[in-house]
Amino acid sequence: MSMYSTHFNRMKPLFSRISVPLCGAAAVFLMAGCASSGVKNPSGIPVTHMNADEQGFVAGTGVESQDLVHVADKMARSIVGIPQIANAATPPTIVLQPVDNQTRFPINKDIFLTRIRGELNSQARGKVMFLARSQMEALEKERNLKREGAVTASSDPGLQEFKGADYFLTGTLQGLSTRTAAGTSDYILYDFHLIDARTSAIVWEDQAEIKKQGLEDAAYR
Amino acid sequence: MKSLRQPTLLAVLLTLAGCTTTTRQVVLTGNVMVDGPNAMANGPPRDRVLWEYRTAAAAMCQGNYPLAKQYLDDALLTLGGIYGNDPNARKARSYFHAEAKKTFIGEPYERSMAYIYRGILYWMDGEPDNARACFRSAEFEDSDTENHQYAGDWVLPEYLDGLATMRLGGDGMDAFKRAQAVARGVKLPPYNPKANVLLFLAFGPGPTKFATGQYGEELRFHAVPSTVTSADIRVDSLNIPVAPTDDVVFQATTRGGRVMDHVLGNKAVFKTATDVAGNVAIIGGLTTAAVSHDQTAQAVGLGIALAGVVSKVVSAATVPAADTRSWDNLPHYLSFACFPLPVGQHAVTVQFLDPSGRVLSNLTKTINLNITTTDHDTVVFVSDRSVTPQTL
Repeated sequence: MSMYSTHFNRMKPLFSRISVPLCGAAAVFLMAGCASSGVKNPSGIPVTHMNADEQGFVAGTGVESQDLVHVADKMARSIVGIPQIANAATPPTIVLQPVDNQTRFPINKDIFLTRIRGELNSQARGKVMFLARSQMEALEKERNLKREGAVTASSDPGLQEFKGADYFLTGTLQGLSTRTAAGTSDYILYDFHLIDARTSAIVWEDQAEIKKQGLEDAAYR
Repeated sequence: MKSLRQPTLLAVLLTLAGCTTTTRQVVLTGNVMVDGPNAMANGPPRDRVLWEYRTAAAAMCQGNYPLAKQYLDDALLTLGGIYGNDPNARKARSYFHAEAKKTFIGEPYERSMAYIYRGILYWMDGEPDNARACFRSAEFEDSDTENHQYAGDWVLPEYLDGLATMRLGGDGMDAFKRAQAVARGVKLPPYNPKANVLLFLAFGPGPTKFATGQYGEELRFHAVPSTVTSADIRVDSLNIPVAPTDDVVFQATTRGGRVMDHVLGNKAVFKTATDVAGNVAIIGGLTTAAVSHDQTAQAVGLGIALAGVVSKVVSAATVPAADTRSWDNLPHYLSFACFPLPVGQHAVTVQFLDPSGRVLSNLTKTINLNITTTDHDTVVFVSDRSVTPQTL
């Protein structure tokens, strides 16, 4: 046995005795140092994929994606079944008119019509045709370029080929809101209707209702 | 000795690694446009909405409307999603944390003002329906007052709700009547379908918060008397006197008691009770230990004294202080005027007047308007703190 190994063997219990309290102290310091006061979720929350039709962990009483999906699906299914569309000899043309938002929630009001149009275009497969009226300025410019011969045309540019609308699709969002000590309640009635452009008759109308309630922490009341 | 270094090094590393996230402090310069973005980036997240409010208001005065929109949108998202469990709010209610630990969303008057500002910006962008939605939310935020006489009593949001409805082809007279009913001493002008310029006015220093009570547990509001109490608009041949329609200080002070005031009251009672109990236990315990010759009685006395010390520590750790974080660059008064202007260039002059009707010339603002169409509204926001001249 060398002198070094003898010395080491004598020191070994000493190291054990010192290292245990040292590590313990480190753990205590570590826990004390991790108070993260004033920081919520200091390590963050990883990105979570949600389905658009489910309520996420961030929710309010206003208009949310699951409402949009529910309402747009219901309206698209309802529209495609009406005789004016289901039995039409040629696909009727529809122009989207802005939705009237009468609720207390500012929203992108076009989003409902965009989703209904998308649903109908993908599911109804040519039973209806939407006119791109929001693009009229660009369309007219292009037509004028063709008429002037500045660009090529695949048909006679002198002809009027812009289609007129058979129907207007529009809607109204109306709300009832209540706030008491028991919490906040928001009811929204989503009403959509199809108007015959020739007669002004409302040929289809459907509604969806969503009511949400919530109560904030007492610290905010 | 090498082996001794390893656990020591490990201990130091672990300690350092664990200590990185602590409360962040921000050095303020006094310029909101500098402090706001800095505080949002580097300050505590619980103050984020507060700084968004302040920076948005400052941006409105500087005519930087896209920036104001950006901050208000983010603040209103937080405001609209506060339902249910919130760890910071739970902390704020606990005995050992201050109310200011909660995420700031403001008192109802502050929330209403955020919606009013956002409504003005929506209208500026040609979205009167979303503007109306904001004005309705502004009224909604004020709907849960202790005294129902003061519930939903903002004048301007109600008046603008009706005006937006009329602009959108509806009948806004219900809202007009509600606005007139809550307008204290002001006769509101009837809606003018031909008016295409909407001028929003804000003036005077708004309310701030302070705390009273033994432990600062009672929230109070303070306002410096405004040197500006009315305004005068001059454009072309028009001269339009403008009286305040809404008093933000009035809105702040008429909300009444909060649920949180009750919580803070309980905290204050607990703090007093544990302090008194601690005093009694320490004095009683030490006296018993000192005068008794019995070892058991002395031990019991010292135990009681120790419990007293614990009670004093608990009392010292209890924080009943009210949250006095304030949206401190709000105006005292809000007002509004709308009038018709033909297509073309117009110079609008806004003069602010003191209580005796004298013009405060150092506050006069000029707005150069270029009206390109009378089909949609031109919206102008002017504060006594606005930059001048503005060109829209």
